[in-house]
Amino acid sequence: MGLALKVRRLKASVGSVRILNGIDLDVPFGEMHALMGPNGSGKSTLCHVLCGHPDFTAEGEAWVDGREVMGLEADERARQGLVQAFQSPVAVPGVDLAELMREAAEERGIDPEEADRRIAEASRRFDMDPFLERSINDDLSGGEKKRSEIFQISVLSPKAALLDETDSGLDIDMVRKVAAAVGEMRGPGMGVLMITHHSRILNYVEPDRVHVMMGGRIVTSGGPNLAQELERDGYEGLRKRLGIETPSAAAPARPSSDFFTDLPFEV
Amino acid sequence: MNAFLLFIGLPIAFVSVRLGVKSSMLSLNSDTLERLNAAVPASLASRRRDALREYGRLDMPNPKEENWKYVTLGFDLDHMTIPATPGDSLPEGDFLAALSDRAGSAVMVDGHLIGVENHSEAWLGSALEAWEAYPPSDLLTPDTDKFAAAAIAFSSDGISLRIPRNRAVEAPLVIDVQSTLPDTVTFPSLDIRAEENSEATVVVLLRSPDGVASVVVPNLQTTVGDGARLSVTTVGIMGNEGVTIMHHRSRIGRDATFRAGEIGLGGRLARIDLRTTLEGAGGSVEVVGLYFGEMEQVLDYRLVVNHVGRSTSSDVFLKGAVEDQAQSVFTGLLRIEEDAVGTSAFETNRNLVLSDGAKANSVPNLEILCNDIICGHGSSVGPLETEPMYYLMSRGLSRERAERVLVRGFFEEAIDRLPLDDLDEPARQAVNRRFAEAQEGGRV
Repeated sequence: MGLALKVRRLKASVGSVRILNGIDLDVPFGEMHALMGPNGSGKSTLCHVLCGHPDFTAEGEAWVDGREVMGLEADERARQGLVQAFQSPVAVPGVDLAELMREAAEERGIDPEEADRRIAEASRRFDMDPFLERSINDDLSGGEKKRSEIFQISVLSPKAALLDETDSGLDIDMVRKVAAAVGEMRGPGMGVLMITHHSRILNYVEPDRVHVMMGGRIVTSGGPNLAQELERDGYEGLRKRLGIETPSAAAPARPSSDFFTDLPFEV
Repeated sequence: MNAFLLFIGLPIAFVSVRLGVKSSMLSLNSDTLERLNAAVPASLASRRRDALREYGRLDMPNPKEENWKYVTLGFDLDHMTIPATPGDSLPEGDFLAALSDRAGSAVMVDGHLIGVENHSEAWLGSALEAWEAYPPSDLLTPDTDKFAAAAIAFSSDGISLRIPRNRAVEAPLVIDVQSTLPDTVTFPSLDIRAEENSEATVVVLLRSPDGVASVVVPNLQTTVGDGARLSVTTVGIMGNEGVTIMHHRSRIGRDATFRAGEIGLGGRLARIDLRTTLEGAGGSVEVVGLYFGEMEQVLDYRLVVNHVGRSTSSDVFLKGAVEDQAQSVFTGLLRIEEDAVGTSAFETNRNLVLSDGAKANSVPNLEILCNDIICGHGSSVGPLETEPMYYLMSRGLSRERAERVLVRGFFEEAIDRLPLDDLDEPARQAVNRRFAEAQEGGRV
């Protein structure tokens, strides 16, 4: 089966600070891969760089279903089939969720009735009816924002879905729903990269591969048991096994934390 | 008199001859005033003469004056003429079409009342006719500025609207003010009174066709009696060469509620100088609206809310956008007088600047002479924000579509708060169309 997402030698910086140090990644259609790693390792940055956030300068290549996307604008990448569920989505006052989904469908040339059908179906699954006519992410709790994001992924059904900590902040029932949805999305038309801090969701939907990021690199990849190892030994244990120095020992590897808090999103 | 007029008013006479309406054009002088005074009550005649003295004393405003900063008028009232007879009335248009379910309407064309239709318990008709039965308000004084003096001196007619006490008029009452003749100025006086415990919704349309350089100087006065609930929405949709210089004065009684809606879209220059006084205890005012300046338009809002009575509340909320070379001005003063204990006063003005050559000036001000109040103001001026743009684009919306959605969303909050729902859709369509045109024209 082909690759939903293929990434080679991807590097990225914001200002003069290098955050991604060369990422190689393959997510085949029909598979779900988990991406784990300590805070600040560059997981969210990877999502934003792949999706074309204007604040980053990037080099390297990425393909969605065989088509190079790194030279494209953010909207072209999305229409090419690369969509992310944001970890901390911005509020867009005055624009309601259903309106956004209809505009997105219209841009893709999808029939309005078909769009409404998809919206209604995804809304039923994620209990989004009360939010459809409300401003996007405005006055929503953390968990409601996550629901809204996975709902949008479900409506837009991209080829490559990047789920950035979609499972955090959700109650256990919603984690199960998200897991079930991810399980179903993992069909022949979609590949999923799920960033998560918790192996909890991996109890409900087993990943095909687990990748671990540290210091802007994927330091190791493996099967589902890698997540279990992390749960047991932590990143410290993994560092020891792989012979990686801790970041505090190799001080200049990371920029100061002040810099990161100034970013409009978490990295 | 005509010979004299021709002699001193050569440029005007020339224009008049060209239009072939020489005999129906009146200059702003004492001859015109006496002609207007020929058949009116003595009290009105003397009030006009007082105003004419002020008119002669005052200079044309200029941008050096704080209250006229940023505004270049580009004309002199002394060189304008008042049409003695009205031109042809204008076709209906989107806003009027949205007000099909109305309790009454009055149409003024070029300063002349040409039609009144009224199915309500309110009194709606000519201000001249109403003069003795319902003496007009004197909330606007002729020493305010040259336009105010002219508006009082040279108002050939106007509209008087009275909502009787304890009555509610459910459907909107519409005042349609049209300016159709080039190089003319008109001074419609619009006097709205909601008596004690009455209720009404009023819409004032100010319009002119594109390509007609006319000036309209409405003197809008609203009096909201004790316990009354009144909303007045002004819809400024003058053509591209039209000028509006409006004074709006309002006085709000005890436990009364006044809502002023502002939709500002039209005109080469549109200025609204609104002063509202919360006189009685427990009164409240809300000034809500939107404006969108295109090309070289200047939209100028000067707002003063004066809290006099105890426990009064005010909320000013205006959102605007400017594109190309357009300019907007918002100055808002919340003044809280010594005895206005328990006041709550808020003021918000948000501006989108969509082109490098466009400019929005936003100056909120507070003048607080009293403790024990709640007061706040917020103001912003800037382009569309990048994070929401990225968010919408990350869903696959093209940059152009994302911009349209964000502009629409920006105005939605103001449209939501307009006093009359009937106007939501035409307002929404007007701002959306305006932004789409700016995109198509490559101006944003």
